[in-house]
Order: sequence, then structure tokens, then C-alpha cells
Amino acid sequence: MYAVDAGEIGCRSRLGVGFLLASVALQNLGRREARTLLLLAAVAICSGAVFTGAVLMRSIESSMAVGFTRLGADMLIVPSGALTNITAALLTAEPTDLTLDDSVLANLEAIKGVQKAAPQLVFRTDASGYRGGETIDVIAFDPAHDFTVQPWLDQHLGRPIRKGDVIVGGRRDEALGAELLLFGWPLAVYGKLGKTGVGTHERALFMTFETLSEMRLTMQQICGARAPLEPNKVSGALLELAPGATTQQVRFAILANFPGVKVVSGESMLTSIRQGLGALLNGALALMAIMFVSAALMLSVLFSAIIAERKRELGLLRAIGARRRQIIGMLLTEAGLATAIGGLVGVVLGLFLMRVYEHSLVYYLDGMGIPFVWLNGWTTGLIAVLCVVLTSLTGAAGALYPAWRASALEPYALIRSEG
Amino acid sequence: MTLSCVDLVKTYAAERGAIEAVRGIDLEVQAGEFTSIVGRSGSGKSSFLAMIGGLSRPSRGSVRIGDIDIWALSDDRLADFRNRRIGFVYQFASLLPTLRIIDNVVLPARLDPERDVAAAFRRGCELLDQLGLSDYLYAYPSEISSGEQRRAVIARALINEPALLLADEPTSDLDEVSETQIVDWFRGLNRERALTLIVVTHNLRLAEQTDRVIHISDGRLAA
Repeated sequence: MYAVDAGEIGCRSRLGVGFLLASVALQNLGRREARTLLLLAAVAICSGAVFTGAVLMRSIESSMAVGFTRLGADMLIVPSGALTNITAALLTAEPTDLTLDDSVLANLEAIKGVQKAAPQLVFRTDASGYRGGETIDVIAFDPAHDFTVQPWLDQHLGRPIRKGDVIVGGRRDEALGAELLLFGWPLAVYGKLGKTGVGTHERALFMTFETLSEMRLTMQQICGARAPLEPNKVSGALLELAPGATTQQVRFAILANFPGVKVVSGESMLTSIRQGLGALLNGALALMAIMFVSAALMLSVLFSAIIAERKRELGLLRAIGARRRQIIGMLLTEAGLATAIGGLVGVVLGLFLMRVYEHSLVYYLDGMGIPFVWLNGWTTGLIAVLCVVLTSLTGAAGALYPAWRASALEPYALIRSEG
Repeated sequence: MTLSCVDLVKTYAAERGAIEAVRGIDLEVQAGEFTSIVGRSGSGKSSFLAMIGGLSRPSRGSVRIGDIDIWALSDDRLADFRNRRIGFVYQFASLLPTLRIIDNVVLPARLDPERDVAAAFRRGCELLDQLGLSDYLYAYPSEISSGEQRRAVIARALINEPALLLADEPTSDLDEVSETQIVDWFRGLNRERALTLIVVTHNLRLAEQTDRVIHISDGRLAA
């Protein structure tokens, strides 16, 4: 009798009116292909830009956070005549034969505002006998106080560092566990540092003061009586300030208590980097907010036009019993769906853009020794989801006012509209 | 269900000043009565129909359907009242183009959360069969003729078994065969289901089939 079966009726009847109105919304998008495509493209560009910007900014932020952590030292104490390189100073003292007594350093941690003091001894030599007279910087550090060498440890053997171990800089090619002969002493390569971009740091051999002490006599015999090889001497100390301590206060206290030392502070550079980065991130954030507001305005204008041409349809729905909130819900669903799809497309485009970034910018920076840390997959995924949700909400927000206005009209006024 | 309206006035704001489309109509239509409203274009027929159908708020006066003053209802309650008690047939294609015929017909039932939707689908199929549209259940409106669309609209108007059916020029733009079918249908509905019908029309043949003909001229009931 009818071209219908019970199963089909059952299936259709189980779908709620919300689903039906949502499907009407979706099909309405399909009715105007060109306009829908333009809408999707506009939203996708906006969403893609925001997604890419957010991920890149967060990546830069976390890269810098890692960088600041690794830079570690807020101050460096060296003998007053020592030359210092401000960039290198934050990781290690420069190779010099000027030294300080380690007794000076023993009292540094007692200075108010000093949280950590990490002594280092840097000794440059071309007489180690290693690799046919290669000039090598040997840097001795104290593992218990160190905070500028070990945070950079990229690979290491599965045990704690011990006497007779050496850690190689990021640009050295010794393999983990390999044995090398320095001043005739066999040393095991315990670990390798990541690339720091600081030459001294990247090409040096790092060992504990304990190891150096054991080799000291041999080194003195080979290199002669050089100051850094005398007992209880250090080239300097890297300081980490306590929270709330200012460099000015600590500098004043150190200079007052320890004559003959020079205090090098990296704060001005770090501060400018932090402030510059902060301004950049705030600017990017403001741009993203402006982008979303302009997208909401654009969508509002667009949906005003879309709703205006569908007034008769809305009037008919109202006439047969649709409530105002159902009409508003249907229109917001339509806007939300369209912009969510656009947002998703934008995120995919953004991922593609970032692949391009990965193959150009990141490798370029990495080659210069600037580490770039991509956000992990979860965070990137979370930003992607947030971006799609935010885009969808922006679309719905843009459609809210025209939808609310249309739903407020009398059904007869809507029906009489040209549609 | 008796319909009564008292001193109905509708004024529209326009650039050239207020336009009084309906100027104080008092009318009572008894339950099961088949009434036609005739008059020239612009006489206020459609505005009057919109007010008694709960689609346009009167500038003055009241409309009672049964014992309910419909314009005293809240917006949501009035929407529910239209959904359950009033069916509408318009002079233009009023099916949603994105829904299949069966979904268009059953839509009013699905808007009512208390209605058995499966039963409504079965009823929708029956109505479409009775109207000769059983082959077009899953067609889209654009795939059937305007006469067939008009019949589908009648099926939709009847899906919730309303007490009052309002039709605004239901036979306009239709060929003679379709027109005759619709007139016969209305007559049958009125006789078999005791449905109260109010039809705005220019079609004298349709008006002749009704129990009562009301003339509206210049926003007033004509003598």
C-alpha cells in the first residue's frame, strides 16, 4: 500500500526534533555551495592562523622556558681581571688562567639572596695528548652544586657520574661509553650534552673536581705550573639567586665582602629577552583576539543575510509550532556546524603550515644552536580542539543576534517576507 | 471548537503612516462550521486570518478559540497551541525544501514532545496515501508538482488532528483538477471529521461549497 516500511518509520521516529532541525541546518548549508565554501574558507583561514600562531607561540614560549632554565645562572663570579663573554658567562666561565680561591666560594652561599653557587674550573690546553694536540677546554664542575652542565645532559650511561668519567660537549663526536686518553689518563665518556650554542660549552670536556684532582699532578708535569692547576683554585662560580633577590643587592653584597672579584650579571640580556618575548606573545594574543572579534562580526553580517533570505521558512516553522528557542537553536547549530567545519579545515591547514615551518625555520634555528621545542602532541591536540570549539562558538555568537532578532518577529511578519 | 473574535483591529506602521488593515471585526464561527472569507486584495482578509490563527498579534481586540483567549497566552504556550489545535494551509509553497515529503508532513508532530512520533509517521503515511501522494513519501518538494505540494501541505496541517484549519488562498495557482480535488477534500474533512474550516479565497467555486461566506471590505465585515 505505502512505499514505506516499519523499520524506516522506527528509525526516523527515533531521531529527535533537535536532530531533524540540525539536519535541516546542515542541508541548508549544502543548498548554497558557493557561499558555504566561501564561509568555510574565511573561517578556515582565521582558525588556521590562530591555531598556527598559538602553537608556534606556545612552542617559542616553552623553548625559551627551557632555554632560561638551562641558562641557569643569574650571575657569574670571576677574578676581577678575567674577560667574560656575556652569553658564555651564563653557562660557564671563559677559559683563563686567572683563578679564585675556593674558600671565597665556600662563603658565597652565605650571602643573602644567593641560592646556589656552582664553582667551575676552566682549563684550556693543547698538551693533553688527545687527538694529536687538539686544543681542548677542560671544565671541572661539582655535581652536587652544578646547575648549568647537567641540565644540558642529552645522553648518558645508565648510572650516576663517577670519578674517571667525562662528559663531552654537544658538538663533540665521541660515543657514549667510549674511552679517551687525556694526559695519559683513561677516561670513560659518561654523557653528551645537547647543543647550547656556546662554543666553549659545546666543544669542552667536562669532569668532576674529583677526577681533575686525581689528574692534577700529571697535568702539572705536562703543562707546567699554571694557576688553574694549583690545588683549591677555581675559575669562577655561577650563582643562582633566591626568589625575590635582586641582582643589585647581591652584587653589592659580594663586592663588599669579596674584594678582587668581578660580578657578571646576565640579567639585562635575559630581562630584555623575557620582556621582548612577553610583548611578542601579548601582541600575538591581542591579534588573535582581534581576529576572533572580526570573524564574529563578519559572521554576524553573513548570517544576517542568510537569515533574512530564510525568514519565510522560519515563519512557517513558527506557524506550525516551533518555539523561539528551537528557531534560535537551529540557526546557531547551522552557524556552529559551518564554522566548526571551517575551523577543522583551518587546523589541518595549520598543521600543514607547521610542517613547512619544521622543515625550514626550525632546522635553520637548530643549525644555529638555538633549540626549538615543539609542543607535545597532547597540547597541540588540545589547542586544535580549543581552536575548533572557539571557532564554532564564535560562529554561533556571530549568528546569535540575527537569530534572536528573527525569532522575535511575529510568524506572520516572517511569512510575509520575501524569501 | 467555537471561534470568536471581538473588535479585532490590526494596524501596521509604514513610512507613509499607520495603515489600518483590519478595523474592528466581531465574528463568531461555530464548531464544525465551514466558512469562507472573501474580499478584494488588500481588504484585510489575510491579516484577519493571521490574527485568529495566532500568527499576528492584534493591535486591539481579542480572539477566543474554545475557551482560550489565545493572545493572552505566552509565546511558548501560543506556539504549542498553534501546533496542537490549528492547521495552516498557505497560498505559496510552504514545505521545507531540505526535508522529504514525509518528514515535512510529520514535522509538526515532532515539534510536540508529548506526541508518539512513530504513530505520527504512520498517520502521515495514511494522510499522504489518502491525498494520492503515497509514491512521493521520500521525494523532496522540488520533485513534485505545485498541486502535489499543496496536498502535502494539507496533510501536514492535519497531522496533529487540529480542531481548526485555516487556509489562505489554498487553490491559487493550481490547475482546475487540483483545485477541484482540494475543494472536495476540504468539504470531506468538514463533513467527516467535523473540522472547523476557515478559508480565505478569491475562488467563488470554493466559497460556494462553504456553509457561510463572509465578505471583508476595507478591513471591515461587509453587510
